[in-house]
Parts: sequence; C-alpha cells; structure tokens
Amino acid sequence: MTSWEPMLHVRNAASLEGRNPAALSRRGFLQAAALATGASPFLNALRIHAAEIRRKGKACILVWLAGAPSQIDTWDPKTGTPNAGSARPISTKVPGIQVAHYWPKMAQTIDQVAILRTVRGKEAAHERGTYHLHTGRRLGTPEKHPNFGSVVADKLGDPDFDLPNFVSIGQTVSSGFLGVRVAPFIVDRAGELPRNVKQLVSRAQFARRLRYLQEQEAEFAAAGAEGLVAEHQTIYQRAVRLMQSPRLKAFQLADEPQHIQKAYGSSPFQKGLLVARRLVEAGVPFVEVRRGGWDMHNSIEQRMPPAAADVDQGLSQLLRDLKQRGMLQNTLVVCMGEFGRTPKINSRTPAPGRDHWARNFCILLAGGGVKGGRVVGKTSRDGTEIVDREIQVEDFFQTWARLMGIDPDEELYTPSGRPLKIVDGGTPIQEIL
Amino acid sequence: MKLKCAKLREPALLAVVSLLVISGWPTTENHSHSAVAAPRTGKASRARTAGGRRTKPPTFRLPPLKTPEQKLRLLELFRQSMPAFQIGRHVQFTSRDLDTSLKISIGKPSYLFARPVDDTTFCRRVYLDVIGRNPTPRELLAFERDTAPNKRAKLIDRLLETEEYARKWAHYWREVVFFNSAANKNRVNPQAFEDWLAEEFRKNTPWDRIVAKMISATPKSNGKLPNGKPDVGQNYGPNNFVLACENKPTQIASQTARIFMGISIQCAECHDHPFDRWKRIQFHQMAAFFARGKYYMPDQDDPAKKHLVKPKFLLGEEPPEVVANNPDARRVAVAAYLVYNPDNYWFARAFVNRVWNELLGDGFYAVDSLGPDAEVIHKLLVNRIAAVFRYRQFDIKWLFRLILNTETYQRGIRTIDSEDEYFTAVRPTRLQGPVVVANLNQFAKVPAPVAREIRSVFRFDPSIPQRDLEGSIQQALLMMNHPALQNSLRNSPLKKRLLQIADPKERVRQAYLAVLARHPTSAEQERGMRLFREAGNPAAGIDDLLWVLVNSTEFVTKR
Repeated sequence: MTSWEPMLHVRNAASLEGRNPAALSRRGFLQAAALATGASPFLNALRIHAAEIRRKGKACILVWLAGAPSQIDTWDPKTGTPNAGSARPISTKVPGIQVAHYWPKMAQTIDQVAILRTVRGKEAAHERGTYHLHTGRRLGTPEKHPNFGSVVADKLGDPDFDLPNFVSIGQTVSSGFLGVRVAPFIVDRAGELPRNVKQLVSRAQFARRLRYLQEQEAEFAAAGAEGLVAEHQTIYQRAVRLMQSPRLKAFQLADEPQHIQKAYGSSPFQKGLLVARRLVEAGVPFVEVRRGGWDMHNSIEQRMPPAAADVDQGLSQLLRDLKQRGMLQNTLVVCMGEFGRTPKINSRTPAPGRDHWARNFCILLAGGGVKGGRVVGKTSRDGTEIVDREIQVEDFFQTWARLMGIDPDEELYTPSGRPLKIVDGGTPIQEIL
Repeated sequence: MKLKCAKLREPALLAVVSLLVISGWPTTENHSHSAVAAPRTGKASRARTAGGRRTKPPTFRLPPLKTPEQKLRLLELFRQSMPAFQIGRHVQFTSRDLDTSLKISIGKPSYLFARPVDDTTFCRRVYLDVIGRNPTPRELLAFERDTAPNKRAKLIDRLLETEEYARKWAHYWREVVFFNSAANKNRVNPQAFEDWLAEEFRKNTPWDRIVAKMISATPKSNGKLPNGKPDVGQNYGPNNFVLACENKPTQIASQTARIFMGISIQCAECHDHPFDRWKRIQFHQMAAFFARGKYYMPDQDDPAKKHLVKPKFLLGEEPPEVVANNPDARRVAVAAYLVYNPDNYWFARAFVNRVWNELLGDGFYAVDSLGPDAEVIHKLLVNRIAAVFRYRQFDIKWLFRLILNTETYQRGIRTIDSEDEYFTAVRPTRLQGPVVVANLNQFAKVPAPVAREIRSVFRFDPSIPQRDLEGSIQQALLMMNHPALQNSLRNSPLKKRLLQIADPKERVRQAYLAVLARHPTSAEQERGMRLFREAGNPAAGIDDLLWVLVNSTEFVTKR
C-alpha cells in the first residue's frame, strides 16, 4: 500500500458509504495496511496539513497557577502598608509599572505583557473559582460548561489533525457539554509521551493485529452495526495516527537544543512550558500548563520565593522564545489562578499567610495581539478596594474570545438543544486590544 | 374520584388528604374531627387557632413532618388514595399487546422489521441489559441447551431476581443524578445513594415510593463525620438527590422536572420558554417548594430587585397556606403533586421512557426532552404503557418483564438513521465502563487501577440519547496499548485454558465464547486459525486473537 490517500478522506467516505459493509471492510483493510507500514507519503500529507493549521493561526497557552496566587506578591505590589507583607515593588522595563520583587525576570519582559489588576471574581472556593475562570460561567447550573480550551479546540482546531486540539499538562476542567471530541488530552508529566501511545509489540505484529481487527469489524458491520463500526474505525485510525505521528516528538524534549532547555529550566513546570511551545509549534491550538502550590494560607514569605522563581524563569523564557521564533504575535499567553488572596496577612502558624480573596486579583496576558506594557485598573493603597476600572470575569472572557478570533456571541448547543452563548455577558477590555 | 377507604384506619384523614391533589391540603392533627376545607389565608388560620378553647373547633395544624418516616407515612396515605391503584387491578396489558400496538403505530409491513434474534444473541443482550455483564460460556451454553419453550421468559425472571440487577440499575440512576452534579464531593455520598437504590430495587419497591423518598428529603447539617467531612446527611442514601442539587431550590426544581418528569424547564429560570408552554414564573413557583424559608425570584431586568413567589406545581396545583408556609410540608406536597397526582402522567412516562431508552437504544423522546409534549413518537403507546405502569402501582419489575418479553426487544440490530425506523430493530449501543470492566474480568483479572481508568474513559452521560454518544481516542489507546491491561490479557486465565486446548478450531471457539459471548462464524473460525499460523507460536497467536477481539467494536457494544 503506497497511498495515504484513503486515510485522509476516511471521514467523508465513512459517512457516504457507511451502509455498505463490503466497501467499508475493503477500505478499512487498505487503511490498516497503510497505517502499519507508515509509508513516506505520510510525511507529505502532514506537511500540507501543517500549512493549513498555520493558516488558521491563533493559538493559546494558558499558564494555570492552581491554588490562587496572591496579587500583592505578584503583579499588584504595595508599599507603605502592613498589607504589603514581605513583597517589595521593583521597577520593570516599562517606566511606571512595578511588580513584586519575586519576579525580576518577568519585570524585564513586562513590555510584552498586559496586567489586569482589578479583576473581580465571584467565587472564593477552589473548585468553583477554577470552574469560573476556565469556563466563564459559575458552577451550579444543570449543564457542565466547556473549558475555554475546548471551545478553542472546537472553533479553531482541525478535526483531522493527528494531535489532540487541546492538550493539558496536568488536570483541568472538562469539555463539558462539548463532549469527548474536544476534551482536554491530559499529559501527566511534561516531557513524557502521553499515556498509552506506545506500541507494545513489534511493528509486524501490530500490523497483523490491525489487519485482523479490520476483518473482524467487517463481520459486525454486516450484522447491523455499520454506523458504530465506521465510527470505531475512524477513532482507531486517529489513535494509530497519533501513535505513529512524527509530531508526537513535540511531547518530548530530546531533540530540543540544550541551551533552550536550560533557558526554560528543569522543573516539571518549566519543562511543561517548553512542551507547550513545542505543541503550539506543531499545530495544537490550545495548551494548558498547570502549576500548583499557590494556596498559601500560611508561610507565604517562605513559600513565595521558590514558587515565584520557578514561574518567573519559565514564563519569561516562554515569552522570549515565542518572540524569537516569531510566534508571539499569534500565540496568546494567559497566566492566572482561580482568584486572589487577602491583602491582610493572617496570623496562622507556623508563619503567617494570606487567605482566599476574590474581590480583586490579577490576570496577566501577553502575545496574540495584546498590547504589552500596559496595566489596566488600580487598587487602593492597602490593596483592599478597586479604585479604578473594575473588570468582571465575563469581561475577561469577552477579551479572550476576541483575541482568539472567536465570536463570543456565537451560540453553542447543549445536548438537550439549549443554545448558550460562548461568553455570557461582559464587554471586552478595549485598553489592551 | 371514587375512593376505597375501608381498609384505612383514618378514613377522615384520608378523605381530606385526597383533596390535596386537586385543590388544597387541609388536614387535622385530631383525626376524630371531621374534615373541613382548608383555611385559605394565614390570617384565617391564626384567627381560628386563637379561638375558643372550650369548644375546641377543628384545628388545621399539620401532622409532624420532621423525620423521613413521618413524611412517608403521610405520603403513603396519598398513595392509597390514588384512583389508578384502585381501578387498575384488572387492567391487562401484555408484551403481545405492546407488540401489536407498536406495529400498528409504526405502520410498516412486517418484512421491514428486523428478524428475531437467536438464543445466543438474546442471552447476551438480556444479560447486559438486566445485570450488566456478558453471560459466562457456561451460562450461555446452558441456556442454549435448555429446551423449555418459555426459556426466554424464565431467564428474564431469573435475572430480575439477582443482586446484579439491583446493582446495575442502582448505578444507572446514580449516574443520572450525579453525572452533571456540581456538588462538592465532601457533601454528597453517591455510593450511599447507589447502595440505598440497590436495596430498593432488590425489594422491588415501587418507583413512586422511591422517588417520594428522594423528593421529600430535607437533609440537615449536623457537625462533622468521623472522617472529618461535614455531616450534611449525605450518608442517608435518599438525601443524595437533593444534595446532588446542592440543596438549591432552582436546581432541585429543574432536576426534578428533568429526571422524574422528562421535562426540561431550566431555560425558564431566566426567561419565558421560547418554544414551550413554561413561563419563567412557573419555574420559580416550582422552585419555591424547595426553599428553606420564603422564596424570592430575581427581577428579570433589575438584579437588585426580587419578588416573593409562592409555591405552585408545574401543572397548576397550589398548596394551601398552612402547607405553603411550612418547609417540610412543602416537600411532602411537591412529592405528592409529582407522584400521586392523577393528572401528572409525565411522572410514570418519564420512567417508562428511560427504561425503554436503555433497553431499545432509543426513547419515545429524548430522555431530557425540551418540552412536555415536544416530539413524542408513538405517543398513544407510551402513554398507554405509562398508564398501565401506574395501574400496576409502579411495579418496576413488571415494566422490565413487559418490555423484555416483547418481540420488539428481541429483534436484531440495525444502524438506525431516521425516526420512522425506530423500534423496527434494536439500536446497537455502547457499553458503559462498569460493564466493560465486568466483561474483561470474566476472562482476565484486570488490576484495580486499570479498571478505574476504563470506568472513567468509558463513562457516558446516561441522559444523552445513545445515538449521540461518541467514542474517544483515549478509549482506543487504552484498549490497544495500556501496558497493565495488555499484561493481564497476556497472563489471563483464559489464555492458560486456551493453551491447553490442542485443536486450534476449538481454541478459536472458546476464545469467542469467553470474550464476545457467542460462537464464531465459520469464516471467523478459519480466520482465527489463519492468525494462529501466521503468529507462529500458540502463545503469540492467542495474544493476537484476544487483542483483536477486545479491540473490536463488538466488544464494547450491546448487540
């Protein structure tokens, strides 16, 4: 079998000929054989494919700081108030913008970054905040809303792409009513292949199995299950394509130059950011990278430096790397957690910390057409009030959708036929668009 | 409405209670007093109770309704007042009647219907549907050998008496209630819910009693459990429907309508329904039953404003003040309006439709239908089944027997595209995670972490029409390549057994019986032997064959 052709058209073919078991099995046989031998037209097909992805353009990397980082110890530092805690404001590359001293490297790339300082959340519990900031909706309605990454995968992803259109390094919110097609493809450990993509037997044995599987399927299709069989085959073909995709290498770091790996750093999170860049480069439109450890109810002064250093190095390098590769213009980077932390320092043991606070917190955006070197919103001197430009979570989602080239008013349909807008209410933040 | 109250010790109370369903809910603590119409306003009620101490006029205080037992005792009185229960004893409706009516309703010539399945296919299907696993080769062969003419009916009866039946369907309802629940995991106990349901299904408790228990529950917070989790009553199974709705009136209202009436009203929370009869005010009147105190509806235009709303059931029933003002009584009232209201045929029909949908692969309408009457096909028939289900006092096993014994259920599979083909054949459907695990465990010992993974990757929302469910790449990758799963296949008891069989033909046969619960066709037998030859050695050949069968569509499908 030298032609890759039948494979690329399988979706249409399946729907057209789905009721003809003989055609199905013949086609299936060809596909299986083509898959198993991995002929060279494969690569040509992929190149055409990649060009198409690039034409669609936009991608997004969401850096999720799970546990909710303190706004005062990150992008809204204070001085001259007990609420400042141990954080000191430092100057950045952009005159007039200050960040907390834990972030010296980000300070030097702040010209790429827009800081939203006055986001007002409604949820101050982890699960609810995580849902709100991932979906733009509040938890507690009968339907499960999709992770915004799933919306992006649905709207911008190519359904025939051989990698998943939404990859998450670490757990995240599900695709909700959008279903398994655009569900986050979870990778447990950055730098490793996703689960179950490794072929366990020799190439020849695997090819034999697939061939016999196709024959087996023909029988069941003829018995009346041709619809399910056709879909099953499509899914198996996509799974095998993923297993044998040269792009799988994007999940690993082996062929990434040492100096780049070093620049990102060697922590799991930092590796995750590098993998995210590689996946976006390979054509994945949405990648989420999770970094936990921000729920600092106690010992915030002790826990902040290592956590911040990890993200400071990785995130600043990600922005630099994307810029150097000419990818920053089309790749939006968002960095946030589920809410903020109390400006007031508590008196917990062994050392004080900050508790949950959703009344004002920060979201950071860069690339993807965002105007960098900007700060939106202002909080009071002690950090407890918004004094200028309150931003609702829905405003942020309006902005996010627009930056991705997605119409926020477009309606998605739940399985029961209920139309729901991609973003419910809010107005885009014009200052950064 | 004609009532037979003779058996009741409290005829007066019963007579009064029966009025609730239609108009109001007057009841008296002192059962010797004669029934009087309910006071219509709180003011009147106060005036009377404040009145004559000497003559002791009838009082209209409610019976105590604090505990589940007290609520259920009152609900039981409503139950016994159901006219359907009284007149329905002699109503006959058999599986044959169902087949005949459905055929007439479909109106197609006989040759367009799929043929009845053979014993093997029937056996596998009914095992999967009733108890959630394949028959073992031994069970399958014994059924094939059985020469009794009514052996299918006998098998159905036998399976309905198993613990596995109770478990499978308890799990189904657990998924219905919890699949989209956003409740904090520390404040619900889905396992306790399932355990309780399994107990009720085992006893064949009528569906109305089961639902009445869920709807009337008012779980109370009570400190912490020994494991440190908050105690919100989640360890009492029936509380978990309300807890899955986070105890929120709006959610309990929309889930009650969705799950127990097959009506989708949640859109009406925010606006009048565009395609249906439900108005926004009706949604909030329904929600008002489930509030702890007074219920306020937010103003549609001004979020700062809200309006007091009194409870009123979807179909228009309004409880009297004395009930409306008492949270526990409101729950009992809404349960009664839902379950024992002769006008509420949606309640019985929603259950019939869900069971039918699971067994046949399609419902008479999507199980979460948009509207009360939207797009119900063969409406007369499903209404008839629902009516008889009610006459039979919501006897769940009766419904299973009715459907499983039909020709309609026992027909072959077909890929069904359009609605007018529904029920001319059975739709092949995807097996849920626990069934896939159970089937694997019959011939390979699957380690617990793999079983967990399979259950989560093969988890489907039971409220989505089965024709709309999609497989996933993760499923394929897991079945093809999961190292621990492959390992358990390579070292399976089945493989050991097959290795001891010298005849390759018999080896193929045993593999098909164990994995797919059927005999191989002659082509499959040939192919299996060809595979053995190609693989070179018997162990590799068996590994390949088991891999092929486990990865086939058929392995994860009910046929």
